[in-house]
Amino acid sequence: MSKRVAIIGIGTTGFRATTPDVSYRELTYEAAMKAYLDAGVEPKDIGSFVATSEDFLEGYSISDEYSPDQLGAVLRPIYTVPGDFIHSLASAYMMILSGVGPISVAQGLSKASNMLTLSEMVTFGMDPIYNRPLKESPHAVAGLEMARFLYETGTTREQCAKVVVKNRKNALNNPYAGHGVLVNPDYVLNSEVISYPLTQMDISPHSDGAVVVVLAEEEAAKALCDKPIWIRGIGWCSDTPGLETRNWAEAIYAQMAAEMAYKMAGIRYPRKEIDFAEINDEFSYKELQHLEAMRVCKKGEAGPLTEIGGTEITGEFPVNTSGGCLGVGNLYELNGGHKVFEVVQQLRGEAGKNQLKNVTTGLAQSWRGIPTTTGTVVILSN
Amino acid sequence: MALIERFQKTTDIGYWQGQIPLNYIYTVGRAGEKFFREIINGKIFGAKCEACNITYVPAKIFCEKCFARLEDKYLDVGTKGKVYTFTQCYETYEGIRKEKPSIVTVIQIDGTQGFLVHWLGEIDFEKVSIGMPVEAVFKAKKDREGSILDIKYFKPIK
Repeated sequence: MSKRVAIIGIGTTGFRATTPDVSYRELTYEAAMKAYLDAGVEPKDIGSFVATSEDFLEGYSISDEYSPDQLGAVLRPIYTVPGDFIHSLASAYMMILSGVGPISVAQGLSKASNMLTLSEMVTFGMDPIYNRPLKESPHAVAGLEMARFLYETGTTREQCAKVVVKNRKNALNNPYAGHGVLVNPDYVLNSEVISYPLTQMDISPHSDGAVVVVLAEEEAAKALCDKPIWIRGIGWCSDTPGLETRNWAEAIYAQMAAEMAYKMAGIRYPRKEIDFAEINDEFSYKELQHLEAMRVCKKGEAGPLTEIGGTEITGEFPVNTSGGCLGVGNLYELNGGHKVFEVVQQLRGEAGKNQLKNVTTGLAQSWRGIPTTTGTVVILSN
Repeated sequence: MALIERFQKTTDIGYWQGQIPLNYIYTVGRAGEKFFREIINGKIFGAKCEACNITYVPAKIFCEKCFARLEDKYLDVGTKGKVYTFTQCYETYEGIRKEKPSIVTVIQIDGTQGFLVHWLGEIDFEKVSIGMPVEAVFKAKKDREGSILDIKYFKPIK
């Protein structure tokens, strides 16, 4: 039996479309200050730090070198994961299990508004020899996947539009979210087509922000924290990345990451044993595809469940009470960070107007976005 | 946040604009060399893993399931396939609205588990369907240079 590890502190700047008043370092500093205050720790108490960054998004060819100071990690054990925030959370968790120290920290950041050529940067993530010569938008990859998902599962564009309506509505009651709005499904369906069947409103707009999370092993967690949120399971997985070889029909990466986390948590029936989830919804259909991949719904059932309100805050399995990527914004490698933040808030009873009643177990899932096939999952309990 | 007033545009307040040219060549590799030499001949080449019974397109030198070496397992897979999924894209890679949208498809090459991502031509978008049989249309031989663009597009088989 390995040590139990809990989240004892969380901090965020909140998430906004632009943050011209602060640098990326100041974003992380604010989130770190809040997380350390929340946990009742100082940087000197922390055994190791794990940062998250992607060079091209950050605008440095070695962005990881620039992560220590704003975290209080100068001359301390730190490294950077070029993946999703939940990858970093897994690393910080393993730091504790491997005895580096009883307390560790995971950090993630988005300063997407700094990137003046965001679309070209995402295109640069595609295969240079087989894909980039076509000079197509990376949104075409989402359009292709969405079309196959609708075909495979019988899901409708209307059901995808319902995801947008729900998440952007939830964001209105989340003070940290920057893209809350009340719209009806027709507005989503009739918004500008980007790559059919994908419309402008099916795509999450980008946001800036930072999240820092403090983890502690059981003894320290109980000493420092009244409401420790325990990590029960964590998983990550990558499918083959090529557009030529990947599984276009299903999000296998999400399925495998979830099964890894379920196994660790001893969960057999996720729909029954998990109360709510924050699911990656960078594109509307991804929420439905991920729910099905993770066995919350059977194939083709996530759309109908959404249609009858089953994933609303008042539904039987609330999904993205935070507003998700659609309502909070696409935070790129920080996407998993805002999901973990929301699940912790819900389990502590600090989710404000969107607070769920009597919840004990929540799941946060992320995906690294186009054109990746990488997923991460963490299961938390209070 | 640091300031009381929130600025709405990233250029409303102090910034430094930085850019750097990033130019690369990407070696196509051993399998890519085979694939692109054959594309000049108007052929599409894959590689078959006998043990897993998987034919990869484009050709590759290893099986990603069993990790067997496939360098002597290249084969001509023909130029026909079926539409596995398709989209009509209105945006350029720079995120700018296109004057004329393109039909982008994932084509599963017949008899293989591999896909090629390419345009679909000689058809209206409304008439495209998943499972539709298509074939590659190559550039004139003198214009081919060993690139994925030596295929102009795929077209429906009548």
